[in-house]
Amino acid sequence: MTDDDALCLDGNGLAGLLAEVFGGDPTGAQRSCPSCGLRSALGEHRAYCGAGVALRCPGCGALALRIGIAGERRVVAMTGVLVVDVAPG
Amino acid sequence: MAPRIAWRVATVRAVVEETAHARSLVFEVPYWPGHRAGQHVDVRLTAEDGYQAERSYSIASAPEDPDVVLTVERIDDGEVSPYLTEEVRAGDQLELRGPIGGHFTWRADQGGPLLLVGGGSGLVPLMAMLRHHAAQGSDADARLLLSAGRAEDVLYRDELGRLEGAAVHITLTRGAPPGWTGWTRRVDAEMLRAVGPAPSAGARAFVCGPTPFVEAVADHLLALGHPPAAIHTERFGPTGG
Repeated sequence: MTDDDALCLDGNGLAGLLAEVFGGDPTGAQRSCPSCGLRSALGEHRAYCGAGVALRCPGCGALALRIGIAGERRVVAMTGVLVVDVAPG
Repeated sequence: MAPRIAWRVATVRAVVEETAHARSLVFEVPYWPGHRAGQHVDVRLTAEDGYQAERSYSIASAPEDPDVVLTVERIDDGEVSPYLTEEVRAGDQLELRGPIGGHFTWRADQGGPLLLVGGGSGLVPLMAMLRHHAAQGSDADARLLLSAGRAEDVLYRDELGRLEGAAVHITLTRGAPPGWTGWTRRVDAEMLRAVGPAPSAGARAFVCGPTPFVEAVADHLLALGHPPAAIHTERFGPTGG
């Protein structure tokens, strides 16, 4: 195991990358999973890293979003995001 | 959402050996905007050939501390942590961006009770909360349950022994020194019940450690009756416990 794995544990560890694509840090935003209904912060979603990253629901594992990384490019697919609730602060 | 975050060049002011496997790096960061206890930073290293590696590290220092302190545990076959734990010297410069992380944070004005449960180096962001609690003279009920391997693996051991205003409980899962009267088993429901507070007290729980640790503790807290929204988790490091 390398410390690549340490980076890819949950959404908290991806806050920097998520901030790049959302223009701000969304890890405190609550997401309601369309698959199982669980409401949880993006920071608590499980993260999987490879050529890009995938965030999955901590309850059922359903895919929430994927970010492809190609050099400076970031390609975001958000097919599994039904509701994200962002509160100030 | 916070404004977009930029990379900044930070200077290592000091290096503190914490255990045989971990050291704290004390950074001076120009124009540091301040952070909340529990947040982290990304560290970027650039090799001479331009190859870059980024890692995320929790901030160990309180928001009241003018320096930014990261505690890094060495992962032997890692790409970044051996450099940070063996090579870096005072005066070196590294790129940081942050603070980041909006979920796993606590401010003294949010009050307590506060239940902090850490496995191994998962203690780091919880330590920032305890230092913040102390710096603010907070009277919030704060309790730490730390699971560590051996006594010599416990980060901030002396400081934990001196902490005022917070209850510190430690369980040593890989062998205790002679005379140890604390726990020697993995965190379980009975231990969490003994540490308290009762779910009816409305505690905010912060659980940080390796994934199996975090999942086990969160399940125990749910089973004890703590509401899911009160349990904050952060998965940290590949080993620990």
